[in-house]
Amino acid sequence: MSSGIGLVLSIAKDALAAQQYGIYVTGHNIANVNTPGYSRQTAVFEAKKPASFGGVLLGRGVDTTEIVRASDQIIENRVMQQKSSLYCYKEMENYMLAMEGLFNENSDTSLSTMLGEFWNLWHDISNDPSGTAERIALYEHSLLISQQFKSLDSDLLQLNTDLTNAVKAGVGRVNEITAAIANLNNEIAGLEIDASANDLRDQRNVLASELAEYIDMKIFEQSNGTFTIVSAKGVVLVNGNDSYDIELDGSSVKWQGSGGNEVDITDNISNGKLGGWLDMRDEIVAKYKQDLTELASEFIWAVNKQHSQGVGLKGFSSVTGTYAVSDTGEELGTADSGLAYENKISDGSFNLWVYDSSGNAVGSPIAIDADPGGTTLSSLQTAINGVSNVSASITSHNKLKIDAASGYTFAFSDDTSNVLAALGINTFFTGSTAGGMGVNSQIGSDKDYIAAAQIDFTTGAFATGDNTNALAMVDLQYSSMAISEWTYDRINGNTEGTTTATIEEYYHSLVGSLGIKGSSISRSRAFNEVMVNELNTMRESLSSVSLDEEMTQLMQYQHAFAAAAKLISVSDEMLNTLLDVK
Amino acid sequence: MRVSNKIIFDNVKLNLANITEELNRANMVVATQKRILKLSDDPVGLTQVLSMKSSLSNIEQLSRNISMGKSWLVASESAQTSVQDMVSGAKALCVQMVSANTGAAQRRSAAETVQNTLEEVVSLANTQVNGRYIFAGSKTDAAAFTLNSDNSVTYNGDSNPFTIKIGKDATVEIGGDGQAVFQPSGAGGSDDIFKILKDLKTALQGNDISGIQTAMTNLDTHFDHNSAQIADVGSKMIRMEIKDNVLQDLDIATTERLSKIEDAEITEAIMDLKAKEVAYQAALAACSKVLQLSLVNYM
Repeated sequence: MSSGIGLVLSIAKDALAAQQYGIYVTGHNIANVNTPGYSRQTAVFEAKKPASFGGVLLGRGVDTTEIVRASDQIIENRVMQQKSSLYCYKEMENYMLAMEGLFNENSDTSLSTMLGEFWNLWHDISNDPSGTAERIALYEHSLLISQQFKSLDSDLLQLNTDLTNAVKAGVGRVNEITAAIANLNNEIAGLEIDASANDLRDQRNVLASELAEYIDMKIFEQSNGTFTIVSAKGVVLVNGNDSYDIELDGSSVKWQGSGGNEVDITDNISNGKLGGWLDMRDEIVAKYKQDLTELASEFIWAVNKQHSQGVGLKGFSSVTGTYAVSDTGEELGTADSGLAYENKISDGSFNLWVYDSSGNAVGSPIAIDADPGGTTLSSLQTAINGVSNVSASITSHNKLKIDAASGYTFAFSDDTSNVLAALGINTFFTGSTAGGMGVNSQIGSDKDYIAAAQIDFTTGAFATGDNTNALAMVDLQYSSMAISEWTYDRINGNTEGTTTATIEEYYHSLVGSLGIKGSSISRSRAFNEVMVNELNTMRESLSSVSLDEEMTQLMQYQHAFAAAAKLISVSDEMLNTLLDVK
Repeated sequence: MRVSNKIIFDNVKLNLANITEELNRANMVVATQKRILKLSDDPVGLTQVLSMKSSLSNIEQLSRNISMGKSWLVASESAQTSVQDMVSGAKALCVQMVSANTGAAQRRSAAETVQNTLEEVVSLANTQVNGRYIFAGSKTDAAAFTLNSDNSVTYNGDSNPFTIKIGKDATVEIGGDGQAVFQPSGAGGSDDIFKILKDLKTALQGNDISGIQTAMTNLDTHFDHNSAQIADVGSKMIRMEIKDNVLQDLDIATTERLSKIEDAEITEAIMDLKAKEVAYQAALAACSKVLQLSLVNYM
């Protein structure tokens, strides 16, 4: 190309183009001011290589070399990591709110109030043992208590199901995201042979950031610009163009590698929404559900054991146990018997009293041997059948049934073996878990069977105005018992501990620990919120668009463009001048 | 630091969200007047609240037990005092009748008075509270004593006194073993009030002065026994009274502690709400100013 005016024109043309690029980029920035994850871009200008002319090096104008984006992948990654734990706590906090609502303790319908009322009603019975109103009130209230236990249990179960459903939806979204990232990896690697694929990289960061909201993950950038993403337990979710799915199998999350190779990563997911949901489901909900059942079990047992020592306003003409054995030939005191409270049975005996129609008593002690080789349901049946005027049978559900001969009734006293309570004979509650609790239907159909009195162990006589057993029942509210308390840990397994406390104290500490858990989760959430905001500000400070800045840029380029245009018109005038010379 | 538009918008959003949350909580505290709105607000405080509420419910029940026990004791005391009055009356009658100046006819008519006294004493021994016989041991459903046609008296109750609970480790016998009260040495014993009266009547009818004298001695013995019994009831009343006072004090103290932990200090809560309100308004005003600023407005 020639020197002189031609050179000026060429410089002017390049300058116009460069300023236009600048305005394009500024326009792109302004347009994306609200696009999430967008990193502002800048056109990079460079002076062209000078040419030697007439003994001097003449500059040849401007060149637009590349468009760069203001972004720091290290900061991006830190934001993602922090977001991962923030979303974990956020989800846990949400579900904790629901749980705190279930244990709505600061109200009059709470389980705590109901337990207190239960003991009070026994006090009332002890004050008027033969009163009908007191007995009905106790029965109705006991139904309410067992319903409350049951509904808490089923609400916790529902929470568990909800969490598994949430995990399922989360797993689906993770798979969508990893597939999209693998796709972008592919495009970026293809495009970056020429120049940085700025906008695609931003898109990929947005997706990676959303992935971090769901699950633990680490990003490794390869030399060709692709991301390799590794998750919990070191499983690879994305590698180059390939993505690997995770799936929900029952309640566990499994990673599916190539060639049908599966890895269970459930207990290793500790961050993101999935981590929060799994923590909630397998550690918190599971623990409190188990603790509630331990409490219900101990409560049922304590009440039943005392109740089986007493006698109602009249003897039984027929009674059926509420607990079934799995095999009538197995020893009652061993686990093989299948009884819920088999471990409470010990060597001992109980008295079976038979009354004729005029109320005269004949007593027969029945001995129980709890050891292996000891009493089975069948041998107990035989022993009872040895007593005249009563007959024992075993129902089709493997429960013990005792019937009196016509005109006779019977009652029990002084059970040192606990076998009556363990078989559910003359007991108050049925079931052995929070979800399976109920009130013995025999009491439901005749409140006279609420055992407020005890039989005189020498004469076999009992009085309707006697409140000995009711007073003993009342004492249960003050007595401490050993109740199991669980710790659920996904990594180290679940461990059973024991607390010695009264029924109410145990429940209060259960509720208290739930509150402590809730407040510590809320605190962690708040802390992570601040951290994410801090890191985000760092990221935005570097990468996001400032409109004031862009407006300034716009003016800058506009003026430069006008000047370059002027250059052309000046060159034109110069050429005209030269042409006019001829 | 370079501040981009997004940073400004994000911070405005975050701060407004925080302050709205605080405002909401302050408002809830004022509305409910409770300091603890959910478990996690103060788990330790809540556990205390729960156990205090349990104690309160227990205290209320024990107070109910005590007031029921008191009604039994009052009835028991008044029945026994009346019996004592009757015993004194009978004794006075005896003094008159044993005198040589009294004739057989007068003694026979006095025998009728003694018959009335006997019936009255049996009826007092069958005193009921809310339909329950208080001198029948634990057999509170049936009359404690029956007066037979030959003026002998049968005890239908048992020897287990009716007991109520007035504290965690405290029980009080409020009902009586009727035999211990009216027949301390057993039915037919020399201090069996029914037998004394029956024998007195027979003696009066039979004009038997030495029989009347024996009855006088026996009445004295029973009078002493009766006084001891009344004193026993009185001391139980005092015990109940003391326990009742203790429970009332405990009730007040616990309620006060409960309120301290659970209830919001209302002036403090309202001040807090006001402060949050001012902060919220200030934040809104500041935001609206900052968000309007842009270079575009000056171009």
